[in-house]
Amino acid sequence: MEDIEIKVSGLKKDFGRRKVLKGIDFSLKKGGFLSVFGPNGAGKTTMVKILSTLEAPTKGDVTIAGIDLMADPIPIKKKIGLISHNPLLYGDLNAHENLRFYGVLYKVDDLESRIDELLDRVELSNRRYDYVRTFSQGMTQRLAIARALIHKPSILFLDEPHIGLDPHAVDILDGLLDDIRAEHTFVMVTHNLEKGLTLCSQAMILDGGKIVFFEEKNDIKRNKFEAIYKKSVKGEVV
Amino acid sequence: MTSFSQIWTILKKDLILELRTREMLISMFLFVMLTMVIFNYSFSADRNDLTAFGGGLLWIAFIFTALLGLNRSFAHEKEGGCLDGLLLSPIDRSLIYTSKVLSNFIFLSIIQIITIPIFTIFFIRYNYFPMIVLFILGIFLGNLGIASIGTFVTTLAINTKRRDLLVPILGLPLMMPILWLAVTISGNIMAGPLGPNTLKEVVRAVQILALFDIVYFVASYGLYDFVIGE
Repeated sequence: MEDIEIKVSGLKKDFGRRKVLKGIDFSLKKGGFLSVFGPNGAGKTTMVKILSTLEAPTKGDVTIAGIDLMADPIPIKKKIGLISHNPLLYGDLNAHENLRFYGVLYKVDDLESRIDELLDRVELSNRRYDYVRTFSQGMTQRLAIARALIHKPSILFLDEPHIGLDPHAVDILDGLLDDIRAEHTFVMVTHNLEKGLTLCSQAMILDGGKIVFFEEKNDIKRNKFEAIYKKSVKGEVV
Repeated sequence: MTSFSQIWTILKKDLILELRTREMLISMFLFVMLTMVIFNYSFSADRNDLTAFGGGLLWIAFIFTALLGLNRSFAHEKEGGCLDGLLLSPIDRSLIYTSKVLSNFIFLSIIQIITIPIFTIFFIRYNYFPMIVLFILGIFLGNLGIASIGTFVTTLAINTKRRDLLVPILGLPLMMPILWLAVTISGNIMAGPLGPNTLKEVVRAVQILALFDIVYFVASYGLYDFVIGE
C-alpha cells in the first residue's frame, strides 16, 4: 500500500451563504509535491488554511500522516509548517527572539543551535538582534521561512511563498526547498506556472471551489493544462 | 513543556512587546489621569474632596481604561498575521486565552498601582489604610473579572471590522455585575469607617465577585476554542 501523507475527502467550506470549497477530494503521497493553481477566489488559500488547521471545514474529512485533522489537531501541528505571504512574525521582536518564541512553543530540542543554523541558512545571522520591523520585505520573508522550519516539519504548506521576494530571497527559498525536498511533503499554492510545474509531482487547478484539473506531473499535457488554466483565470477577469 | 511554561512564553512575549512599544500603557495612563482630573473639576472643583463617591468614579475611569487596553490587546497578533502563527503552534488554544487574561490583568493592575495612590492623596479625605487588604482584594477580583470576560469578548470581535465598537457593546453588559460589586467594595471602604453591617456587605460582595470571576473564567476558557480563529 502506498504511503499516503495527506488524504482529503468531500471537503467543503462555507462562509455564511458563500460556498468557497464545494467538495474537494485528493490524496498526496509522502514526499510528494502538489502545486495548486487557480484564479483569485478559487478557494486555494482556504484549502491550505484548512489543511494547516487554521480553519475548520464545514464538511468532509482530512487525514494528515494518518491522523484525523478534526479529531486530533495538536500532533498534526507538530508535523506541519506554513509559509505564506503573511510572515507571522512580531515586528517589535528581533529575529532571534521571534525564532526563539516559536521554537519554545514547538518544544524544539537544542533550540539555540537550531536558530543559529536557520539564521545562517537564510543569511540573517548578522541581523539576528535587529527588530523585524527594520527588515526589508525580502529579509522578513527569509526569516518567515526560518520560522516555518524551526521545528523541522515533515509537511510544508506554501501559500504563494515567492510573492514580495527579491531575486536573492527567491534563490534562498528555492535552495532551501531543494535541500529539504527529499524528506518533506509539499503543498504549494502559486500563480507562477513555470515554478509550480517544475517543482511539482502533482498539479491541481482549483476553480470556483472545485478541482477542474488534477494529474501526476508525468501525465500532464502542457497544452491541455494551459488551456484549462487560462479558461479558469479568464473567468476571474470576466 | 508544561502548560504553565507555554502560558509564560506567550505572556512574556506580550510583556516584552508592551515594554518596548508602550502603546497600551501610555494611552491607558493618560486616559485614566485625564478622567480623574475631569471628575475633580466636575464634582468638587474647590474642595478636592471625592471621598463620598471616590469608589464609583475610580471604577468608571478603570472600566473605560480597560476597554482601551482590551482593544489593543491583540494588536501585535493582528500585525503580520501573528495570530495565525499562534494558532499554528501545537498548544491548546485555551492557554492562549489564559496568557492574554494575565497580560490584560497585569496592564490594568500597573495603571491602578500608579493611579490609585495619586487619586487617594489628592481626592480622598478618609484614611482607609487599615482596610487596605480588603480594598486590594476588591481591586484584584475586579481586574480579574474584567480581564476574563474582556479577553473573551475581544477575541470574539477580533476579526470584525468594527471591533472597537463591538468590544464595549458586548463587553459592558457582561461586566456590569463585576463593576457593581467592585464599586460596592471600593466605594464603601474609601467613603469612611465600616460599621458591622457595611463590613458584612463588603465581605459578601467580595465573595460574590470571586464567584463571578470563577464562572466567567471557566466559561470563557471552555468556549475559547470555538471563538478564536473562526
